[in-house]
Amino acid sequence: MTDISSTDALHARPRSGMSDRTISWLLTLLAALPILLFLVMPLAAILARSFDAPDGFGPGNFVAVFRTERFWLLVRNSFAMSIAATLIVVTAAYGYAYALQRTRVPLKPLLRIIVLTPLFAPSLVQAQGLLLLLGRNGILNRTFHLDINIYGFWGTVIANAIYAFPYAFLILSASLAVADARLYESAEALGAKPLRIFRTVTLPATRYGLAATCFIVFMLVITDFGNPMIIGGDFSVLATEIYNQVIGQAQFGLGAVIGIVLLVPAIFAKLIEKQLTRRQYALVTAQSKPLVVKPSFRRDAAFAVYAYLIAALILSVLVIVIVASFVRLWPYNMTFTLHHYEFDVQNGTRPLWNSVGISLATAVFGVAVAGLTAIVTLKVRNALTTPLSFLAILPSAVPGMVLGLGYVLAFNDPDNPLNVLHGTFALIVILGIYYNHAHAFLITSTSLRQISNSFDEASTMLGGSVLTTLRKVTLPLLWPTLLGVGVFFFMRAMVSLSAVIFLVTPSTQVAAISVLQLSDRGAVNQAAAFSVCIMAIVVFCLAIVRGVLWLAGAKDVTLVR
Amino acid sequence: MHLSIKNLVKRFGLVTALDNISLDIAHGSLVCFLGPSGCGKTTLLRVIAGLEDTNSGELRLGDTDLRRIPTRERNFGVVFQSYSLFPNMSAARNIAYGLECRGWRKTDIEARIREMLDLVHLADQADKLPAQMSGGQQQRVALARALAPNPSLLLLDEPLSALDAKVREDLRAEIRAVQQRLGITTIMVTHDQEEALAMADLIVVINNGRIEQAGSPRDLYERPATAFVADFIGRMNVLPLDTDSGQACVFGGIPLQVADNKAAPPRTLGVRPEKIALADAGTTGANVIPGIVRAVSYLGNLARIEIVPQSRPDTCLTVELHGAASVPAVRSDVVMSIPAEAFRVLQ
Repeated sequence: MTDISSTDALHARPRSGMSDRTISWLLTLLAALPILLFLVMPLAAILARSFDAPDGFGPGNFVAVFRTERFWLLVRNSFAMSIAATLIVVTAAYGYAYALQRTRVPLKPLLRIIVLTPLFAPSLVQAQGLLLLLGRNGILNRTFHLDINIYGFWGTVIANAIYAFPYAFLILSASLAVADARLYESAEALGAKPLRIFRTVTLPATRYGLAATCFIVFMLVITDFGNPMIIGGDFSVLATEIYNQVIGQAQFGLGAVIGIVLLVPAIFAKLIEKQLTRRQYALVTAQSKPLVVKPSFRRDAAFAVYAYLIAALILSVLVIVIVASFVRLWPYNMTFTLHHYEFDVQNGTRPLWNSVGISLATAVFGVAVAGLTAIVTLKVRNALTTPLSFLAILPSAVPGMVLGLGYVLAFNDPDNPLNVLHGTFALIVILGIYYNHAHAFLITSTSLRQISNSFDEASTMLGGSVLTTLRKVTLPLLWPTLLGVGVFFFMRAMVSLSAVIFLVTPSTQVAAISVLQLSDRGAVNQAAAFSVCIMAIVVFCLAIVRGVLWLAGAKDVTLVR
Repeated sequence: MHLSIKNLVKRFGLVTALDNISLDIAHGSLVCFLGPSGCGKTTLLRVIAGLEDTNSGELRLGDTDLRRIPTRERNFGVVFQSYSLFPNMSAARNIAYGLECRGWRKTDIEARIREMLDLVHLADQADKLPAQMSGGQQQRVALARALAPNPSLLLLDEPLSALDAKVREDLRAEIRAVQQRLGITTIMVTHDQEEALAMADLIVVINNGRIEQAGSPRDLYERPATAFVADFIGRMNVLPLDTDSGQACVFGGIPLQVADNKAAPPRTLGVRPEKIALADAGTTGANVIPGIVRAVSYLGNLARIEIVPQSRPDTCLTVELHGAASVPAVRSDVVMSIPAEAFRVLQ
């Protein structure tokens, strides 16, 4: 037996390196500095630029923009289109989520995958598919000699509705998944009919989730750029106007003003959504009893028809893009060909590989950045951690185009020593990281919170430093989540369009922008082939990571969010 | 090395969690902090461990001022209530953790792991992950992990409260045996008075952030200083004395003889239920209180009888009869006889 009596016990102290206090401050600064450089500075740049009018510093740009007839038309267009799309999506997605959570519709896993497919593609594939189906040269107009005009308001609304559908579905599905069976049992015992139960029990229990979904969808749609660009025709919205002002006319000041105009409703929507989500969780108590859905033939049949119809609609838009990529000339010559996959246009397959490289880098560095920020805000206590956690979720309220414009304004400035980054892949990667930072940060910190604080305390008491604890305890427990976050970054970077549009140069072309440019030039088949490649890469990556997680026994990690 | 705490104060915002705590703990003893939940006992343990800061006061181990030593360099072993074994490491790796942090040689670490696993009788569980072990086994590994680096102080934060009753009793004996064998100064936090009585050399009863009383288990049971301690450790009848009689020690008009003499006139007396004897109705003499039986619970080897004194119907006394041949019926008249030595003056 070794001597445990404690005469010299205090001499057997753990090896001390840097003190934990020093380490925690270093970590905090390491997390805070890049956020200041790559999030706060671009936003400050866009704010500064919007007040930098031809007649000196002041609200001149705002006055000039607000005086134009066109601006108010764009505001009306944007709001009308976003509200219409929001109403359609939220209603349709509620029914779909209800079918999957509260009925016994067959083939639920398949329905779930289908509804999530729009997440695997850039936000212009929906418009692409709609045009192939209903456009001037769409298969319906050509085959049946019709004259359906999909361009404009309704085309944009439908394309955006499909684009936002999976987001709405995920939130509504989560809020319908929690239910207290005791409420339903007592309502039934009191003799309430199904419709009445829905109105008095189900709907009130999901009202916060429902409202939060409305704000999320509204924000996604009003800031979306790809779909109105492709299918809008003469119908312009605020998001496309920023692009036209900046790229078309080099009017950075006016672009910045519209960016701010877009940022304000987005921030409000985000704040309200956060409030609502907080209330949603308070509804479930520890005593709740999970609801078991009983079979009912009529209800299940009705919801099955509905869900399959929606799934078919979402899938058809996607499938038609895939089909179009394999035919000679849609819709005139429908013979099979692989010609469009030769990519003998523009830079060939370069943009695709650029995208893969950028996305991999975004995934690796994004995990490190978001992971570090989450660890610092949760495990370290000092004066900087509270403002840091606010900044960490700020990007969720910033539209991609606005952040992208901020990057151009900040890093194209010759006075900024960081302007060496302008026109490099590195800057696109950094933008990808900070554009998606909020979500990645939230996923990581939720997971970190589930790792009990007592592990940290146990490690400290055993003599482990902050870094030892991180290396030996926290990270080994966190890695499945971090892998999931990596997949999230990879997916978002692959399909990202609006954020990077201002940053790409001919030498740093990315795949999603190529699709836009090919579509713009009327090369619909090549554009479709490009989209298919993007989706294939995303699905391939998801499959690999799912396999890795399965082998490691971490089966409950959500990859698609 | 003995642990000395002086005038320790700890506040959380406006709440005072520890209110001027002073305490000396002798080397090699096992001390229990006992009290209801929220009384500050866990906070006191965490302050000693260094997991919480203090607002003021002194904390010394031997000649060392503990507040100047960073938490992780204090070299204290801690066992937490929730088994905080690292879930990604086997039992052996958990035990090795503290040794690796101290830069032990590999061969020494392996030897120490075997030694510690033998100590807690888990030699065959070395490669199991925490999730593959029972709660009792996990807590024994946690104990081994805490003891492996030769800590100068062992801190146990309700180590048994998450376990089943049977496992709890076994582990209670095992912890005490290991502690006595190693002679390590140990502090255990608990809300279970039975646990404290069974294990401790010294019990420190804490209430509302203050020490109510500190003493050996026997001291606390037989000579509780306050009504709180009296009630928290075992059962105690509390007799509020008459305030309008002008004399000392009058209860319901009956003058009482009390052996426990204190300078100030007492206001409250305590008496353990097993110290009260029942006599036939009509018995007279010193310290005899007539009453009516309100309820009787028969508990096998003992009967617990609640009696309302005739002259103080606002109170109720509990009497415990061990192995009594006959038990009085409900609503019958009885007489309670209490020896003068049985009374405790409570503050």
